[in-house]
Formats: sequence, structure tokens, C-alpha cells
Amino acid sequence: MSLTAFKRALWVYHLNTGSCNGCDIEILAVLTPRYDAERFGIKLVGSPRHADVLLATGPVVRQMVSRVKRIYQQIPDPKLVMAIGNCGIEGDVFYESYSLAGPIDQIIPVDVYVPGCPPRPEAIIHGVAMAWVKLEKSAKQGVA
Amino acid sequence: MAVEEKKKATYTIPVGPIHPALKEPIRLALTVDGEEIVDTDVFVGQVHRGIEWLGMNRNNPVQSIYIAERICGICNMCHPFSFVMAVEQAAGITPPPRAEYIRAITAELERIHSHLLWAGVAAHEIGFDTIFYLAWRVREEIMDLIEYVTGNRVTKAMFQIGGVRRDITEEQFPRIRQSLDYYKSIFDQLKRVFLDDKTIQMRTRNVGILKKEDALRLLTVGPSGRASGVPKDVRQDQPYAAYADLDVKAITPDILTGTVVGDVYDRIIVRLVEVKQAIEIIEQCMEKMPPGSLLAQPKTAVLLKTLTKAEGEGVGRAEAPRGEVIHYVRLEAGRETLATWKVRAPTYVNLLCVPTILKGMQIADVPIAFASLDPCMSCTNRVVVTDRAVGRKSVVDYERLHQLSVEKTKELQR
Amino acid sequence: MEKLAPQAIIDSFAKELGGGFVGGSVYECEVAVKKNKFQSLWIEVKKDAFRQAVEHICRLQEYPHLAIISSSDLGAEVELIYHFTIYYGYHLQELSLGLRVKLPKNDLTIATITDLIPGAIFTERETQEMMGVEVVGIPDNRRLFLPPDFPEGVYPWRRDEKGPPDDMLRVLPGRKQEWHRENKEGS
Repeated sequence: MSLTAFKRALWVYHLNTGSCNGCDIEILAVLTPRYDAERFGIKLVGSPRHADVLLATGPVVRQMVSRVKRIYQQIPDPKLVMAIGNCGIEGDVFYESYSLAGPIDQIIPVDVYVPGCPPRPEAIIHGVAMAWVKLEKSAKQGVA
Repeated sequence: MAVEEKKKATYTIPVGPIHPALKEPIRLALTVDGEEIVDTDVFVGQVHRGIEWLGMNRNNPVQSIYIAERICGICNMCHPFSFVMAVEQAAGITPPPRAEYIRAITAELERIHSHLLWAGVAAHEIGFDTIFYLAWRVREEIMDLIEYVTGNRVTKAMFQIGGVRRDITEEQFPRIRQSLDYYKSIFDQLKRVFLDDKTIQMRTRNVGILKKEDALRLLTVGPSGRASGVPKDVRQDQPYAAYADLDVKAITPDILTGTVVGDVYDRIIVRLVEVKQAIEIIEQCMEKMPPGSLLAQPKTAVLLKTLTKAEGEGVGRAEAPRGEVIHYVRLEAGRETLATWKVRAPTYVNLLCVPTILKGMQIADVPIAFASLDPCMSCTNRVVVTDRAVGRKSVVDYERLHQLSVEKTKELQR
Repeated sequence: MEKLAPQAIIDSFAKELGGGFVGGSVYECEVAVKKNKFQSLWIEVKKDAFRQAVEHICRLQEYPHLAIISSSDLGAEVELIYHFTIYYGYHLQELSLGLRVKLPKNDLTIATITDLIPGAIFTERETQEMMGVEVVGIPDNRRLFLPPDFPEGVYPWRRDEKGPPDDMLRVLPGRKQEWHRENKEGS
């Protein structure tokens, strides 16, 4: 299928809601010359207002809940949320702790889940590709 | 003083990127007089997941090893290392010598990967994205080696109470030596790129100075403390595992330059030379590896029974890439979980010297000075700046702060 | 002061503190193939002699290294251990010193040591908020790790009624037995 709904490639914004950094360094490794997601046009931006996709990692610590919601609102439509790593999906080993407010989909709606602790860079690229396809589909449906 | 109080203002500057995409939550509140920073306040706690509570109330000691691994994803080996040492001291279990050597080899592999990661991040903070990509590309070689030896890139799961879970056999040695030779061959190039570049010298010399007395009083550990001339290194002072058989010296910057200044440039020197030291340690360990078993007690069910009946306390100290890690464990007879578990990561202590380091610096130097401490597990996200002189409030985001740092570099290059 | 042997250090504590000194022991540990040893000391002092003990440590070593303060809930009292290390800088010569203080639960106060060791501020703040021990004279009284809206009077490390209440905790579906609750009542 032709990816034409976007005039430019996907820009992603990374958000850490209290994770151990394992998933975060694998996300950064995706941009380095070995895996090189930039040749697809995927770029990491520094502000949520420029982003299309939100990459969220980490079990949501209670103190970060309001910030997560605020960032979600700042990203303009059409947008997509990816939960990367087991902590974001279901809490991983930290599920029973007293200081967590639940996995990410209790706070904001999530579209793509990439499991792993941490997921390999190839898995993350696969996840972003699936997200792109889903976003294209929903953009076309929105227009039509 | 009263006149200045009236004109108080707040600039809110999010200082995020110690790691460019790692907007880990820490808050710094800077008090600024014009362009100079006068005081800093550090707020932590946004990554608090209740790990010690989980270990004391939910998991048996073997499950707690895996929680200890996920305390930090970068320094991933040192927390289970000191935890396992503490439990062994408390329960009176001695690991076999071959396990001690394998533990030391995997710990040194992690040190190489962590220092290269830091080198890339520090270069990004100054504005040299090319070096960031170079360092992380070079780092991929060690990640491949870690995957070859332990099975995974990041969370390695090598430790078990009483030994290690996987073996490093003689057939694997040639592959390890091949990677180490690669690093030895590019080490001079890395040194040239980082230490001989004029712009890096201008941005990092005399920036973020920490004097020796301050480092001692504020209990700084790891390469940040060694760069100020304090020769504290757990591998040298109270060696554990295979380090007790080797002679590891704490590295201070006067090895290369002859003087100790205690600034960001010295910290780069210490970390680069430590990579070389790690390569030498791995080679020595491979030569001297004793034969034998891997676990003191191979059956996990029997091990858990022993631990439930054991009573005692133990302290485990290890040298992580960022400094000294200490775990304290107390076991009580008849209790399935740990009775007491206290964890202290090195960044906990290194954050105390942030006000001293940032005093008198410009705002554009905050990213590199803070990143030179190599904070793990909590990094800045939001900075509240109080300016005593001007009277306006404005919000500046991360991109602006990173831009300030990059602009300063461009100015120096002109 | 020049370096003393481990037993000599314990004797110097006994002499210095007199009645405040409760007991001390040396623990030795063998490592790896060459079987080198390193030693650690455990010293217990009474609450009133605590500051004197810390001053004595500062005399033994010019800038002693305080690693962390660990605290345990022992039922009727709370035990704090201050983990110091001295004589660092030389191969195999560092000594770990664990300074033990027991506090009764009806009087959970201890003196601060931030004037002797400025780096102790973080760990004293953490002990205050996590265990409920009040550090007298602490220069900075704020919470360190817990969020500001965490309920007052709830101390996560405690095993008695002041620990986190059940509505703050979750249990994984499929947990075989409620042994965590048994542990709470049994201890």
C-alpha cells in the first residue's frame, strides 16, 4: 500500500514514566548507524507539539500521572501511542508496588504494544512500522 | 537585599537531556544571578518503584535477583552482583572460584559498554552529534559480544546465589579476544577524537570543577570522584570476586596529563582509560580462569530451603561503572522473604555534589556539567530557575536549552 | 592517627565510649583463588553515645566514607546501621565498619551527623520518610523519594500497623497463598 497520508515521515517523541532505562537505550540504539531508523525518515523530536507518535516506557509512577496526561494532550491529531517494554504493558515485576499508578493503558489509550524486557531494536522498528500502517489506515478512513 | 527581593523572577527551563531521548524525571531548581548559577536544588523521586519493599514483602531471595537487575538498565550487572554477595555473606554460602572469575568478566564487559554510552551522550550534549553516532556504533561491537557470552543485550541474568548460571568455555575465548583486539586497535582513535579536539577542550576544561576536599566531604564515588583525585575504587580497596587475585589500581587523571583539575575533561580521561583497563582485566581473567563447577548449590529448591532457614546479615559492595554500589541484606530464620534489604546506587551519592559543580557556571554549561557525572536512574527533566535581578516569567523548553549549549560550541569554534 | 588493626579499633571504641559501648566483632571473608582476606567490623553503641562514636570515627580517618544508613523494624525497636568504610586508597586494606544503634519505638529520635559529614543529608532524609525515625537537627526536612501527596504517617518499611495499607497495594492474580499477610502478623 502506498504511504501517502503523510507528507513527511513519522516524528516520534519519547516519554519515560519511571522506567529503568533499558527500553530507552534500545530506543536510542534504533537511531544509531547499526539499525538506522533515520533512513526511513523516523526522527526523534524534542517537543510533543511536533510529534506524531508517542513512545512511552515505564510503569507509571504516581508522580508522573499528570505529566503523562498533559503530554498526551499536547500531541496534535492524528496521533498514536506505543507502549514499549513489559513495564508499560502490564507492570512487569513492579506490578504490586505501592508507588505505581498502573500500566500505561490505564492512563492514556495505547495503540501498539511492543513486549520485551527490553525489546530488541528490531522489534521496536517492527512496532513503528505497524504503527505507521495503522495510522495511514485511520487517516484515510478519516478523510473518506 | 530588599531591593533585589522585589524584582524576583522565575525562568522555567526544562533541563532534560542528559540522554537526548531519556527524559527521565529529576528536577533541578537553579537560582540564577544574571547568567551565573548561584545555587541548585535537586528533587528526586519520580522513578521510585518501591523495590526494597517488594523484596521484603513479596519475593523470595531468588526472585529478588531479577528485581535487582531491573533497578537500572545501563548498569545492569552490578546490582545483582552486590545483592548476591550480600546474601552469600548472610547465609554463609561460598561460590566456587570459576564462578568468581566469570562474574568479574561479565562485570568488566558491562563497564566498557556503559562508558562508551556515556561518551556518546556527552558528545551530544556539547553538540557533536557525529561523535555521538560514532561512539554508539563502536558500542555495538561490545553489545554483540555481551549477547554472545550471556544471551541477551541488556538484561543478562547471569547471577544466582552461590555462583553463576552460564559458563564461559574455552571455545568462546577466541571470539572474545577478537572483539577485544578490535577495541584495542581503535582506542587510539577514540582518544584522539575525544581528548585532542580543541573545541572539546574549550568546552570542558575548567567547567564543572569539583575539588578534592569537596569530593571527600560529599562522599563522591566512582569516576567522578577519581577525576578529582580521590583514589577510591572498591576493586582496589576491598576487592571481591576475581579482583582479589589481580592488582587493580584506581585511575586518576594524572596518569595522562600529570595534574588533577577535577573538571569535565578529567572525567572524560578517567572513563576512557578505564575502558582500556577493563580490556586488560578481561584478558587476565581469561588466562587465569580456574576449572570447576559453577554453582555452590545447583538445585534451586534446596537453595531456597537453605535461605529460609538461614539467619544473618551481609553487606555486598561492588564497583559499578558509575561508582560504588552497596546492598545490605538481613535474613531471618523461618521467613521466606528478605527481612531487610537496603540498596544504594552510586548516583544517589553523586547527586550531592551537583550544587558545588554548577556554582558559577553559565546556564549553557548545565547539560554537559550534569552529564559528566553520568547520572543513571534519574536525570533532569524540569529545571526551575530563579533569577534575582529581572522580573519576568517565561517558559523555555528542552530544545532551547540544548540549543544554548550547541550555540556556545559554535561560538567557540569561530 | 596511624592505622590500627581491627581488634585494636574495637578496643579504642570501648575505651572512648565507656558505658555507651555495647559490643563489637570482627568478620573475616576469604575471596577467590588466592584466598586473600578482607575484614569488616560490627560495633554496637547505645543511642546516647552515638555522636561520640561518629566523632571517634572521624578521628580514625580524616574523611570517613559513609555508604548508607540501613534500618530494620525489629518489632519493639528499630535498628539503624550506619555503614562506614575507612582506610580506603590501598589494595586490600579498606575496612568496613557497621555502627549499630537500637532505638525503642516509643522514642524514635537520633542525632544528625551532617555537621561532621555533609554527605549524609540524603540518607538521613530517606530514613526519616521511609521508617519514621526523626533525625534531630536535620537541616533539610523535606521528603526525598515519596511524592508530596503520599499520606502522612505511612512508612513503607515498617512491618507494624504503620506500613502501607492494603488499599495501596495490589496482588498479582494467581498468587498462591496470602503468605505476605501471615508474615506481617507472625513477625
